[in-house]
Amino acid sequence: MTRTRTPGISRRSTLALMGAGAMSVAAPWVARAQAKTIKIGMPTILSGRVAQLGTSSRNAVMLEVDKVNAAGGLAGRQIEMVIRDSKGQPQEAARVARELVNTDGCEWLIDGEASSGSFAVHEVARDLGVLCVHTCSEASSLTADPKQHVPNAFRCVRQGIHDSIVGGSYAAAISKAKGLKKWATCSPDYAYGRDTTGEFTLYLKRFAPDVEIISESWPKLFQPDYTEVVTKILQAKPQALYSCLWGGDLTSYIDQANIYAMFGQMEVFAVNMADYTALTVVKNLPKGIHSGNRYIKSFPTTPENAAWGDAYKAKYNEYPTNWSWQNATAVMFLAEAAKKANSTDGKKIAEVLKGLTIKCPFGADGTVTMRGDDHTLVGYAIGWGTTIPQEPYVPEVKAGDWKTIFELEAEWKKSKGYT
Amino acid sequence: MTELEAGRADRLAPVRSVSALQRYRDVLIALIAFAVLATLPLLTDSKALLDFVIRCSAYGLFATSLNLLVGYTGLTSFGHGMFFGLGAYSFGLIMQKLGVPIPVAFVATLAITALVAAVIGAICVRLKEIYFAFVTLAFQMLIHSTILSWASFTGGDQGLRGGIPRPAFLGINLANHVDLYVVSCALLVLGLLAMRQIAQSPFGYTLRMIRDNAARASFLGIDVWRAKLTVFVLAALFASMGGMVMALFVSGAYPEFAYWTISGEGIFINMLGGVSTFLGPMVGTVLLLLLNDTVTRFTEYHGIVLGVVILFFALGLRKGLLDFVAEWYTHRRDAGEGR
Repeated sequence: MTRTRTPGISRRSTLALMGAGAMSVAAPWVARAQAKTIKIGMPTILSGRVAQLGTSSRNAVMLEVDKVNAAGGLAGRQIEMVIRDSKGQPQEAARVARELVNTDGCEWLIDGEASSGSFAVHEVARDLGVLCVHTCSEASSLTADPKQHVPNAFRCVRQGIHDSIVGGSYAAAISKAKGLKKWATCSPDYAYGRDTTGEFTLYLKRFAPDVEIISESWPKLFQPDYTEVVTKILQAKPQALYSCLWGGDLTSYIDQANIYAMFGQMEVFAVNMADYTALTVVKNLPKGIHSGNRYIKSFPTTPENAAWGDAYKAKYNEYPTNWSWQNATAVMFLAEAAKKANSTDGKKIAEVLKGLTIKCPFGADGTVTMRGDDHTLVGYAIGWGTTIPQEPYVPEVKAGDWKTIFELEAEWKKSKGYT
Repeated sequence: MTELEAGRADRLAPVRSVSALQRYRDVLIALIAFAVLATLPLLTDSKALLDFVIRCSAYGLFATSLNLLVGYTGLTSFGHGMFFGLGAYSFGLIMQKLGVPIPVAFVATLAITALVAAVIGAICVRLKEIYFAFVTLAFQMLIHSTILSWASFTGGDQGLRGGIPRPAFLGINLANHVDLYVVSCALLVLGLLAMRQIAQSPFGYTLRMIRDNAARASFLGIDVWRAKLTVFVLAALFASMGGMVMALFVSGAYPEFAYWTISGEGIFINMLGGVSTFLGPMVGTVLLLLLNDTVTRFTEYHGIVLGVVILFFALGLRKGLLDFVAEWYTHRRDAGEGR
């Protein structure tokens, strides 16, 4: 074969030269842009079964970030959010979190992961030393267990143990008033379901000692058919039922239990009912289901909270979720901490965040606090009420008492060997 | 020795030296590959690139070991991910609870994996085709459910929390990113080399014969069950190594590692890269991770993109990428010789 090509600058070296040229022109711009804005990375679940919650987290963060940016940014720096899907897989969450910090140059992380994913991001925060605020994981051990403690990680989320204490005392009061002695439980069969149900019954029995659990059902997470569970509960003839099913599981359960007219036969306590993702999806929402508040714009009954819910609805054409208010609160904390520290340095922010109290529409008394000793959110609005089939869905919510919560939480921590 | 034979011997001599080169060719390639990978941190300070190679090591070991079963023995396992998860959990638990040096935990994990794989394999490899596939899947779900429900030991659905301690050994500190990278590369190269030796050994050719015609192999006096069980256990060991690399990377172990989706990804990788060449799964791993990492940067609808890609490979190429290239190359060479 004879060589026909005349030697000259090859295609490859041309491409390489062009690339190098583009880089040298672009590099100063990139560097300048980085110095001006602050990038905050956020891995969250944007695909799969809980995508709706991840999307609502992103929405809430953007809503608040736009406000902060309009007001001048964080210590003079505009925020640029880099939000990526982790598919709800912990190894992806860890990879995305590392990539956000190492490649995209994110200086802080807002961790929108649930369950195992949040623990994976927690380890990344430990490893890289980057400031991290968890905004979706309700697992108490993430911050309650001192073994998990990471100085630069905070949790801006409600907690299972707080819900159980408030739920237990609320349910006990109704039990005593109505003479509900025989109880059944029905909760999803995984750590959250088992732990939350265990803690709820613990506090229920503590406040109403003559309560007896006569039937327990543990449907699988994401189970499509609840017929056997419903019939099992009906046969046991309890006076009251507790459930911590959530989202699509809770709505399918209610739709199927409605066929058996179950809600007329017992008092139902479903901690995760009062969330718009469940309230607006159920076909015939029964009247009088007792529920804890997830996010509801009628509780706390302040104009700030109602305005925030409406602003969110106006922008995204749907109501916020429980994850939304938590993410919004995280941005409020970061903004306030940056203002106090007059800096965006992660270490300084972490110092300021400890024990920081801010004004917040979701606070029980208009403020929320990032507790200093375990880096977790307290003082948020928490309470129980009963449903009606149309808006406002849960007209009256009885607020939980944070003094009782703190006492019993301290006791619970001791019993777990955390303190 | 006759004159004729002496003449032949002369002609044979250079052949022998070529075969010596052939014999050490794989070792040579492995050494070069490791040298290239190990110098990478000197050339770039991109942590993302190192992260990428570490994940490639974990998934590459896993997918190549799956190919020992799928491509070489014709055993399509839908539950191979259980050994990935088992490796990650055993290693993580040993490090957290016993605090032994890392090499001890490494060997102990391999021993546990071998034991579990021998028991599960003894039941599974008697079955063929879809029955084998489904029984392996059933065992995988059994292990996954055990991890979920034994929450006091495994942490349940929240996984092994609190980080995996990584004490330094022999001057290697795995808490250091570059050290972890080099060790992952070494494990990948050693693992691939070992699997290559298995595939090219007489045992490897026995496996191919079993794949093509198990009855004939049996008639030739091969204990088919024993051979299948052996390769099942060997493949499990390398998958477990992959799991350990992943556990070190994320500093934890999560039930998702033992879920069927991991096995699915392994099969997906093999489809992408190809099963009839040894490095096919490695190519598939790099392809899948590259695709995943770039697509998820831009959209949360990555499922659609990955689906289209797999359709392209399944319907368009009708084989994995490396298989396609190898076939194209052979075709071209044959055509060239024919001219």
